Amino acid sequence: MELLAETAAWFGDPAHWSGTDGIPSRITQHVQLSGLALLAGLVLALPMGVLIGHTGRGGPLAIGIANIGRAIPSFAILVMVLPLVLGLGLGLGFWPTIVALVVLTIPPILVNTYTGLRGVDPEIIEAARGMGMREHQVALKVELPNALPIIIAGTRVAAVQVVATASLGAVVASGGLGRYILDGFARQEDGRIIAGALLVAVLAIATDQLFGLLERRGVSPGIRVGAIRGPNG
Amino acid sequence: MVTPGALLLALILGACTTGEGDQSASPTEGGTSATLASTLRFGGPPECPERPFCLIGLQETYGLEFAEFVPLDVGGPITVEALTNGEVEVALLFTSDPSIQANDFVELEDDQGLQRADNLIPVIRTEVLDASPGIEDLLNALSGALTQEELIALNSRVTVDEEAPDDVAAEWLADQGLDQADESIGAGASIVVGSTNFYEQEILAELYAGVLEANGFEVERRFQLGAREVVVPALESGEIDLIAEYAATALEFFNEGAGEATPDAAETAGILNERIAERGLTALEAATATNQNAIVVTRETADQYGLSAISDLAQPAP
Amino acid sequence: MTDQPLISWEWVAENLDLIAERLVEHLALTGIALAVGTAISFGLAFVIYRRRWLSQPIIQLTGILYTIPSLALFAFLVPITGLSLLSAEIGLVSYTLIILIRNILAGLDGVPPDVREAADGMGYGPWGRLWAVELPLALPVIVAGLRVATVTTIGLVTVTALIGQGGLGQLIVTGLLRPGIFETMIYVGGILSLVLAVVADSTLLVIQRALTPWARARA
Repeated sequence: MELLAETAAWFGDPAHWSGTDGIPSRITQHVQLSGLALLAGLVLALPMGVLIGHTGRGGPLAIGIANIGRAIPSFAILVMVLPLVLGLGLGLGFWPTIVALVVLTIPPILVNTYTGLRGVDPEIIEAARGMGMREHQVALKVELPNALPIIIAGTRVAAVQVVATASLGAVVASGGLGRYILDGFARQEDGRIIAGALLVAVLAIATDQLFGLLERRGVSPGIRVGAIRGPNG
Repeated sequence: MVTPGALLLALILGACTTGEGDQSASPTEGGTSATLASTLRFGGPPECPERPFCLIGLQETYGLEFAEFVPLDVGGPITVEALTNGEVEVALLFTSDPSIQANDFVELEDDQGLQRADNLIPVIRTEVLDASPGIEDLLNALSGALTQEELIALNSRVTVDEEAPDDVAAEWLADQGLDQADESIGAGASIVVGSTNFYEQEILAELYAGVLEANGFEVERRFQLGAREVVVPALESGEIDLIAEYAATALEFFNEGAGEATPDAAETAGILNERIAERGLTALEAATATNQNAIVVTRETADQYGLSAISDLAQPAP
Repeated sequence: MTDQPLISWEWVAENLDLIAERLVEHLALTGIALAVGTAISFGLAFVIYRRRWLSQPIIQLTGILYTIPSLALFAFLVPITGLSLLSAEIGLVSYTLIILIRNILAGLDGVPPDVREAADGMGYGPWGRLWAVELPLALPVIVAGLRVATVTTIGLVTVTALIGQGGLGQLIVTGLLRPGIFETMIYVGGILSLVLAVVADSTLLVIQRALTPWARARA
């Protein structure tokens, strides 16, 4: 009960709602870090996934590497990139966190894009070719839309992981909501710790829900289940 | 579908257009005429804003309000990096840190006597000390030999040369003739030496452990236990028996920031002993070596504003 | 700071005992979490198996637990259970639940109905059938879940160093605290935990194949 009161008091303090260390600013930093990393991850992993998914070449190798990549502990990668990023003169905080987060987004997006494209019914692909589509058209206009639900599912996994790991960025002097937790540990302020944990948890769950919604809604009705079988089915 | 996506995009675009430097400083908020400090960013450990010898002291003793406080690490490489990169202009490091010299930083003189005597001091469970009173002479001899230069040299060997703390400790004890054994002192009594994650306290713990082992104690090392907030409760509960502490910081930890520590080591150690006696702990003799908060700027910053003492930061903003 | 090599092998050679100690802590933290997580998951899965209506609430709840970032989950626990092994394990166990429960249920649901009927016909009671027929058939899917849970837990244990519970993450944190950043400790900690995850995953795969010669591994 005392803990609840402390947390409520922390939220109630107007000082915690303004400035660099204020809640709106920390949320913005967190979303910026996560959003940029996810965008960069999509830019990198999506074309790669479409390419190997469409051609089938290098697939098992890429998937093997990506699967090992999934076993990299996110905290370890965050700290391991720090000396490298500092060596490049990019400074603390923002860039080390972004680089680590991007590394984390690639495996789920790549694997799901590849799997999604490989899973498209060969008959549909043949039909597209029969209609005179070029290979890149087949990949982008037929395979990619059909694989979209699986790709979004992979992006959802990546997004939730990124939001979670962005909070660990505080360890390498980044902004974001993790600051409240680590600063709370250091200052022994339970209210600050719990408030930070609540905000991060809500943001992660909201991200998960948002992508869940996209997964269900974001797919064009033309290729919902049923249509996948196509005219031949 | 449009709204959350657009929101996300807006936030990301916001990041791109405003960049990282959007934490605009507003130097003249204080009402009084702006000081140099109010245009500078201060970097230090996350707990700094609440510690009497960090931001609170800088404000109360020197009247300094910085443009922004940036939470970094506890006088470690992140702080050093932030200072070198210009992410902060003023930072908190420690007097025994070899990276001050290594990076040609300027330690600003504490001309108003804010800092208290953070001399290295062994804190032991009284019960253990009573059982083996010989410990006191052993550790006092060790503390007597530990000067500031010796401490910086020890730190440098471990952190810059990346030597193992136990090797460095063993060699130093041999050099100082502190490893001369009288196994009857310990007579096989067991003692648990603990340490925080902080490398210097670990070196000290290795020194304590080495001296005790050489003199017939059965030593168990419990190092890298976390922060003081973890280690002190472990000491009180008897999980560990002996740690290396810093006189003033320990005192202010135990008295919850009552501000009783003074710039005098012996005096501070005396008050510390009064405060920890009821917790079943005893502080032995302090070393001359200190590890106090050092307010540090880069050579460039020092030259630019002509800084040599902390009070120079109170000059009017340019 | 200086141009030291990325990994100082000299330090590694001199600190093998420290590294081994951290590795053992890591294994212990992981092992406890998996053992407790598996026990709880089987319990909950069996409950769901008997009372289907419980499946949604349990899956939803453990799903939300899984979504909470590790640092946040540990942060919730520290003010209550302290910087302790208990805090670390409560967090770690929480993350294994959804993975294990989902796979246990998927495995059990995958048992063909005629096999169940045959078992009933042979006179097995509901629990006997579960133990002697359904569980062995569900094993490949359950072990597949255990593999995911193991890899996840090994990664999360690096974070428990932030609440002072040792493991390979402790090497990472300590390396980060040293003046000039001690890369060797960071890389040794990070790479070892990755290797540990890959080795544990492969080992479980081998065990899974050995245990279920009749089934081809699904993952």
